[in-house]
Amino acid sequence: MENSSKDDYKIQSFDIETQTLLKTALNDPGSVDLEKVCSVIVEQSLKDQIFSREAGRICYSIVQTEAKQNNGSSFRRHLLTRLQQEFIAREETRRRSTQDWVCLVSFICNIFDYLKVNNMPMLALVQPVYDCLLRLAQPDALKNEVEVDCLVLQLHRIGDQLEKMNMERMDEMFYLLRDGFLLQEDLSSMGRLLLLEILEFRAGGWNLSDTAQKYYYSEVTD
Amino acid sequence: MSTNQKYTSENDSKHDENRNKGPSRWSSCRKRGADGSLRRSHPNEEENKDQRCSQRPERFTTPESEGPVSRVKNWGDEVEAEEMRSNVHRDMHRYRRRILAADSPQRDRKISSGSSESRDSKDSPAKGDVETDETTLMRRQKQITYGKNTLAYDRYMKEVPKHMRQPGVHPRTPNKFKKYSRRSWDQQIKLWRVSLHAWDPPAEEGSELEQIEEIDLGEIMDFDFDVECSADTETASQYPESKGASLSLQEDSFTGTPKKMMKIEDAEMA
Repeated sequence: MENSSKDDYKIQSFDIETQTLLKTALNDPGSVDLEKVCSVIVEQSLKDQIFSREAGRICYSIVQTEAKQNNGSSFRRHLLTRLQQEFIAREETRRRSTQDWVCLVSFICNIFDYLKVNNMPMLALVQPVYDCLLRLAQPDALKNEVEVDCLVLQLHRIGDQLEKMNMERMDEMFYLLRDGFLLQEDLSSMGRLLLLEILEFRAGGWNLSDTAQKYYYSEVTD
Repeated sequence: MSTNQKYTSENDSKHDENRNKGPSRWSSCRKRGADGSLRRSHPNEEENKDQRCSQRPERFTTPESEGPVSRVKNWGDEVEAEEMRSNVHRDMHRYRRRILAADSPQRDRKISSGSSESRDSKDSPAKGDVETDETTLMRRQKQITYGKNTLAYDRYMKEVPKHMRQPGVHPRTPNKFKKYSRRSWDQQIKLWRVSLHAWDPPAEEGSELEQIEEIDLGEIMDFDFDVECSADTETASQYPESKGASLSLQEDSFTGTPKKMMKIEDAEMA
């Protein structure tokens, strides 16, 4: 059983009691109420931006451990069911709070990234992820920097995987992004910058050339 | 929010037919339809959304699905099915390699760490005799999984390492890749599962000695089986327990070592 320090899973934002619950779940999933664990993780992911981008890792660990321990998959099932509910209600969430909406997208994408099935991405999530990202590529979303930022982050992380699973929808997405960049007048300059970078990123095979890297990131200190 | 409203299409036309005609979800950005003809000028965003909703097909076939897939599916179920499917395919590749290795002149019998259920020391089928139908393989795999998700199997695995299994003495998982009739296969599964009961854990106090019933496992696979299921699943199998019935032909149901089974196995129990 691997030694899971707090830092690996970014669970510092939880209260102590919950952290203990999570650590127990990581070591001995059979001994805890996995539905509750799932609920706790999902709730936090939907409001904590940092955690929403990292929750996939802890989820995957729990899934693996449960499978090894008793060949069970109940945590994964709870997680997916909950995720599906949130996905179905996403438009409502977006209307209510942009922050919650971008957290939801980050979370779904992070789960897609980490929760592999026999080292393959979960097919069931491909279309939902695309649905979310394509929503972010709509004009009313592109004008919000927060949403553009979320979109490009996800594309950086999982764009190449998504493209492999469905090239056509990725093409459609980039039609929208090009159109937005070129034609949309209410984009902020940061929004435009982010879009230009992602256009170049994909054009470079999901990689940024050295010169582009310098252009976009020369002021970023590592 | 009504899920059905969002996903049910008002017309029943299949995805393929819809693609080239009229506005689609992407028409706001595409100048031409997929058939090359110019599109009308774009309807506004709101209209687009409604049209998108109403024109989204309810069922369609994608490259990764076996047949028409209805849109609203439970993600948990889908992923579990994906996992089983990919496991079955992986097993198939391993099995094929093993057969080919057996057929080669060197007869190099490398024992990999894969599932032993597909390993046939004596009777490798001829190349044409491999079961490849995915539905059949999935069904058989489910039956095998039920059998392996038992305390008895777990104890059996711990007690008898694979390389120490003696044919005729120790139960052997039926080989899902061999061609069998449905009846033959179901019978093999039954016998296998019954023979595994030799490794049932000792009975707890108060449990009754039940008869070993002939249960039609084929039926059970298709609908929920309302039995008192043991909540514990504990085995080293690569297939997860699915939400459906977990057959409880385990600890409480049977007690003692079924001596009759040993005779059927035609050997002495160690």
